Amino acid sequence: MSSPQNAAPQASVGAPLLSVTNLEVRYGDLIGVADVSLVVPKGSVVALLGSNGAGKTTTLNAIAGIVPASKGKIEFEGQAIAGQPAYAIVRKGLALSPEGWRLFVQQTVEANLLLGATPLADKSQAPHLLQKVYAIFPRLAERRLQRAGTMSGGERQMLAVGRALMSAPHMLLLDEPSLGLAPAIVESMYETFQKLHKDGLTILLAEQSVDLALEVSDTAYVLQVGKSVLSGSARELANNAEVQRIYLGAGH
Amino acid sequence: MQHRFFWIAVGVLALAYPILTMPFPVYQRLGALVLLAAIGASAWNVVGGYAGQVSVGHAIFFGIGAYSAVLGYHYLGLPPILGVPLGMIVCIAIAAVIGVPTLKLSGHYFSMATIAVAELVRVLVPTFDSLGGAQGLSGPTLPRTVLDLSFTSAMPYYYLFLTVLVAILFVTWRIENSRMGFYLRAIKDSERAARSLGVEAGRYKLYAYMLSAAMTAMAGGLYLTMIGFVDPESGFGILISVKMLIMAALGGAGVLFGPLVGALILVPLEEISNSLLGGKGAGITYVVYGAIIIIIARFLPNGLLALLKPTQVKPADAPNGSPVGAGEKHAA
Repeated sequence: MSSPQNAAPQASVGAPLLSVTNLEVRYGDLIGVADVSLVVPKGSVVALLGSNGAGKTTTLNAIAGIVPASKGKIEFEGQAIAGQPAYAIVRKGLALSPEGWRLFVQQTVEANLLLGATPLADKSQAPHLLQKVYAIFPRLAERRLQRAGTMSGGERQMLAVGRALMSAPHMLLLDEPSLGLAPAIVESMYETFQKLHKDGLTILLAEQSVDLALEVSDTAYVLQVGKSVLSGSARELANNAEVQRIYLGAGH
Repeated sequence: MQHRFFWIAVGVLALAYPILTMPFPVYQRLGALVLLAAIGASAWNVVGGYAGQVSVGHAIFFGIGAYSAVLGYHYLGLPPILGVPLGMIVCIAIAAVIGVPTLKLSGHYFSMATIAVAELVRVLVPTFDSLGGAQGLSGPTLPRTVLDLSFTSAMPYYYLFLTVLVAILFVTWRIENSRMGFYLRAIKDSERAARSLGVEAGRYKLYAYMLSAAMTAMAGGLYLTMIGFVDPESGFGILISVKMLIMAALGGAGVLFGPLVGALILVPLEEISNSLLGGKGAGITYVVYGAIIIIIARFLPNGLLALLKPTQVKPADAPNGSPVGAGEKHAA
C-alpha cells in the first residue's frame, strides 16, 4: 500500500487501522470534500482540525458510510469500505458519534443505548456492554428510563458516545464532541476519551477547538475548504504558525 | 385492575353490539363498516404509523384486494373470499416493486411518489375491459353457498371483520414488541441515526410496507364480500388512501388502537353527512377530511390517544429531531 502523504508516524503506535486516500464527496454539484487523505494508526488518537465548513463532518460521514464517497479509497483493517452501506461498516467495528448527536429523542436513554448494540453479531453481549457504558457514564444510568429528548446537552453527548460504544467498536469517530457544551463538561468528556484510549480504543476526532484536540491527540490533520492541507504530530502542529493562520483567518 | 375491567367491558361490548342493535339494521351495518375501515387503517398503520413512512397510495393494495376477489368470481366462479389470499400475495410482490425505489425517498417525497403510483393505476384500470373497465365488476348477486359470504344482515360481516381486525391488531402488537418494532421506531425517529447505528433501514421499511400491503389487500377483499361491487373509483380512488391515513392519524399513528379510534369517529361522521346531504353532498366528504387534516396537523400531531398519555407530550424537547418527527409523521 502506498502510504499517503507525510503522515508523521508515531513511535508508540501500530499499523494503520484506517486509511483514507484522496477522498472526494459531492452533494450533487456541490463538493463537500475535495481531496482528503489521512491515516489513523491502530491505538492512536488522531485529530481532524478545521474551521466551519472545512469538511470534517463530511469526511467522518463518508468514512462511516452515511454519505457516499464519489472518489478515493477508504480502508479499514485492510479492507476497502468505500461504497459500503453504513450498517455494514459499523458491523466491522467502526462507530460514529455524530455531530448534533442524532439521538432518538422520543425514546428512553436505555432504548437509545440498546439501538447502539444493533450491529453486534452476538446480541447476548448487549447487557454486559450496557453495564460498561453505565460505568463510564454513571449519569446515563441515573437517567436510563428518561426520554432522550428531555436531557441536557452534556447528557446527550454522553448518550451519543455511549450509544456508539454499544457496538463494541475497534475505532470511534467523534464529531465535534465539545460543540455547545460547558467547559467543565467538555473537560470531563475529554478525560473519558483519554480513558477509552488507554483501554485500547482508536479514536478519530473532529474538533474545532484546536488546543483541546491537540492536547489529547497523537497526530492531527488540518482541513481547509475540503482538502487536507497540513498534518503532523500534535506537538508540531501546536507550535505551527500556519495552523494559527488557518484558524485565525489571517493572511486574507 | 381497573385496566382489566375496562378491556373486558370493551370486549363484551364489541361482541354484544350486533345483538344489542338487532332491531336497527342500520346500526349493525354501521358497526361492520367501522370495523372494515379500522382494518384498512390498521393495515396502513404498520408502515405509515410505526415505520413513519406516510403512504398516500394504499388504495393500490385495497383495490387489488377487491379486484382479485371479484375477478376470481367473475372468471372462475370462485367465492370472492377465495380470491383474497391471491390478492394478498400479488400485493406483497407489488409492494416490493414499488417499495424498493420509493422507500429511498424521505418524508413528503415518499408520500408524493405513492400518490403518483396509485393515481397511475386508477387511471389505467378503466382502460382494461377484462377488469370491467370504468363500470367495474359485481360479485355474486345471490349466494350460491355460504362461502359466498353474501348475507342480507350485516351481523355475519360484523363478526367476520371483528375476527380479522383482532388478528391484524395481534400481529401488529407482536411486531411492536419485537426487534423489528424497535428498529421501526428508531427509523421513524431518525432514519439517518438508525442507519449509522447499523439498522438496515431499507430492509425493515420494505418489510413493513409489504406486510401493510398484504393486510390492506385483505381489507379490500373483505370490502368486496360485503359491498359486492367494485369500480376503479371505489377500489383505487385517492380517497381510499386518504381515509386510511386520516383515521390512523386522528386516533394516533403508530399507536395500536389509534386507527380503530379514528374509524369509530370518522365512519359514523361520514354516514351522518351522507344521509343528511343525500347523494348531492358526496363532495362535502372531501371538505370534512380536509378540515380534519388541518385540525390534526395543528392541534393533534400525535392523535387523540396521545391525549390520554401526558408523558407523550414534552414541550421541552430540544431542537434536534423533535420538530422533524412531528412534521414528517403526520403530514398528509
